Amino acid sequence: MDMSKYRDLFFSEAREHLAQMSRLLVALEQAPADRQTIDALFREAHSVKGMAASMGYEGAAALAHHLEDALDHVRRGGEVPVALVDRLLAGFDLLEGLIDDLQADRPERDIARFLAGSAGSRSLPEAGPDRMEPPAPPSPGTEPAAVGEPAAAPAGDLPTVSVGRVYQVTVELAVDVAASAARCLLIVRELERAGEILSLTPSRETLRQGEECRRVQAWLRTEVVRSELGRTLRAIAEVRKVTFADDRRTDGGRRSSEAGRSVRVRTELLDQVINLSGELLTQRFMLQRASGARDWSELNGSLTDTARLIEELHHRSLQLRLMPLESITGRLPRLVRDLGQKSGKQVSFRVIGGGVVLDRVILDALADPLVHLVRNAIDHGIAGQGEVVVTARREKDLVLIEVSDNGRGMDPAELRRQVVARNLLSAGQAERLSDREALLLVCLPGFSTARQVTETSGRGVGMDVVKAAVEKLGGTLDIQSTVGEGSRFRLHMPLSMAIIKILLVRCNGLPLAIPLTRVQRTLELPAAAVLEGTPGRAFRLDDAEYALHSLGELLGGASGSGTDGGKDLCVVVIEAPGRPAGLQVDALLGQRDAFVKSLGFPLSRLPGMSGATIAGDGSVMFIVDPYHLLEGGGLPARYQESSHAVL
Amino acid sequence: MSLNVMIVDDALFMRNMLKDICQRAGYAVVAEADSGEAALELYRQHRPDLVTMDIVMPKRSGIEALQEIMAEDPAARVVMISALGQDTLVIEAIEAGARDFIIKPFKEERVLDVMRRVMVPR
Repeated sequence: MDMSKYRDLFFSEAREHLAQMSRLLVALEQAPADRQTIDALFREAHSVKGMAASMGYEGAAALAHHLEDALDHVRRGGEVPVALVDRLLAGFDLLEGLIDDLQADRPERDIARFLAGSAGSRSLPEAGPDRMEPPAPPSPGTEPAAVGEPAAAPAGDLPTVSVGRVYQVTVELAVDVAASAARCLLIVRELERAGEILSLTPSRETLRQGEECRRVQAWLRTEVVRSELGRTLRAIAEVRKVTFADDRRTDGGRRSSEAGRSVRVRTELLDQVINLSGELLTQRFMLQRASGARDWSELNGSLTDTARLIEELHHRSLQLRLMPLESITGRLPRLVRDLGQKSGKQVSFRVIGGGVVLDRVILDALADPLVHLVRNAIDHGIAGQGEVVVTARREKDLVLIEVSDNGRGMDPAELRRQVVARNLLSAGQAERLSDREALLLVCLPGFSTARQVTETSGRGVGMDVVKAAVEKLGGTLDIQSTVGEGSRFRLHMPLSMAIIKILLVRCNGLPLAIPLTRVQRTLELPAAAVLEGTPGRAFRLDDAEYALHSLGELLGGASGSGTDGGKDLCVVVIEAPGRPAGLQVDALLGQRDAFVKSLGFPLSRLPGMSGATIAGDGSVMFIVDPYHLLEGGGLPARYQESSHAVL
Repeated sequence: MSLNVMIVDDALFMRNMLKDICQRAGYAVVAEADSGEAALELYRQHRPDLVTMDIVMPKRSGIEALQEIMAEDPAARVVMISALGQDTLVIEAIEAGARDFIIKPFKEERVLDVMRRVMVPR
């Protein structure tokens, strides 16, 4: 049986089991006699064993079986000895690493030594693959290995490890192609020559039966680069077009290694999506009939229904991409435990709101930053004893993820001093920073690399990386801290990256979109309320002073789109680095949902341009991220000519 | 590009037509067979760069002849000639190793296009 199609599902499920095991192991350490924890761990190990054996991953199956056996043993004994917990943790780490190896298609790490170690240990029963009952019949030559060298035999028999990148190829044929199925089979043959076909639409069987087909789509794992494969495929007669794609919107292709990963979706949600698309099909016929009969009122009614259906379908499809935060917090309890042990601190850890959902692209990208933040909280925040809490909750269109500790806290004055001492800012610049801005100094790259950070002055490890990751995803990072009470690192993240709410404005005569998540409010400002000064214009609002920038100028347009004529100014108050600021635009046009298209190179290199969307009339509209635009001080001069042409 | 071509077709008319097309393009027709039975022996003798093979021929079919040639020389470049509506035979031929196919009735440039593409080294 071809198991490759189950591969993605295996890894996604195995990861869930591993996350669960990680949590349970930490719980077990705290309550070594808890029967329920032991039972749950046993079940997790058992599941992984069965899945791995079915996939033919014999090393992983043997290891999981080993852990399962160990757990079964202690199940009878009652309490788990401390030494055994350590061994289970080590075994778990090895299993996780092994799954990593399998997923990355690299040679598996050695587990023989670990399994052999158990043979001499009295606390663990002997275990090996000999007692395994894999659902799939073992391949000939896979003799049950003797205890002590259990991994050696399976490893030797593993199928050749395939390497290469995974991408999707779509080949389209000319419209008038003759014997199209045969033509498609020729294409499939070329694809097979290039690498391993992971999935194929239409299937080989369908093609063999001679079904008409003008389009072949395949997921391919290959070492052949795209341009090369494209050339080969285009050399086949009747091939009209060859296109390539990764799994999802790529960051310049960086994520291609993750291509082919799967999401698990609740059946209920999937059914809703299917029902809705079915209703849309029916609706189409009603529209056609109404338009054929030139029945305008019927047509209008149908259009309204269609709009509702599309909106609903859209909403549901977006939910397909959402996953709970807990899918990435699973490994944190273990991290906290290990770090606590290493540093001799007593740290407790909680996740509140683990069920809050976010787009999985965002979640994937947040996993490492979260680890950074939790690590920093323990290394630099907690003194001796304390608690680290990860909290998530919805805040309007955003999700707030907060990593807080009740440790030492950070002193803005001390941070200012440090930053001047390191020549990162002048004394004058440092003095002008608000406390909120001063706390963000820990995110300066130069600050981060400084290894010797005094105890109260801060925590620099990788904070620049965290901040960059958060902002790349369209989020913001904010830090609150009180000396002696602790710190909060607050990440405001968008729910989804594909669809965002935008504010439409006109600027330099053209419509532009600003993500609503960056907008605090909009207002019409009387020209007289503008304060002219240095370094630039400003205005007061609710007792606070805001810098006023012209969006047109930031984008390289003509200056002086200013206060002439004494008319009111349209101002968008936006999130900006450090403190909010006002952006002057020509007009405010409204709000709407926009499907974000990422920009290709070289447009993707324009600072402050986060994407584009298609306006109702079919024209392309750019999405401006004012946060980045202001951070970079507007488009640099070298971009301005081109940006003009673009805008 | 100079090519040595072998033509296998039971109909003289088709053989002549293909031969003319080849010759106009400057290709040399080094052998002609009027049956699948003769094809393998001629292939052995001439080792042509390219074979055009009619699919439907009396006695030994083009697919059988193709299989024999592929067994003899796995790198053989065989292009099948088929009438419209014989898709399943074409599919069978491709699975047996045919490099490409041409559907009758054909145009001259279509034949040459397929021949050129098949000759691209891969």
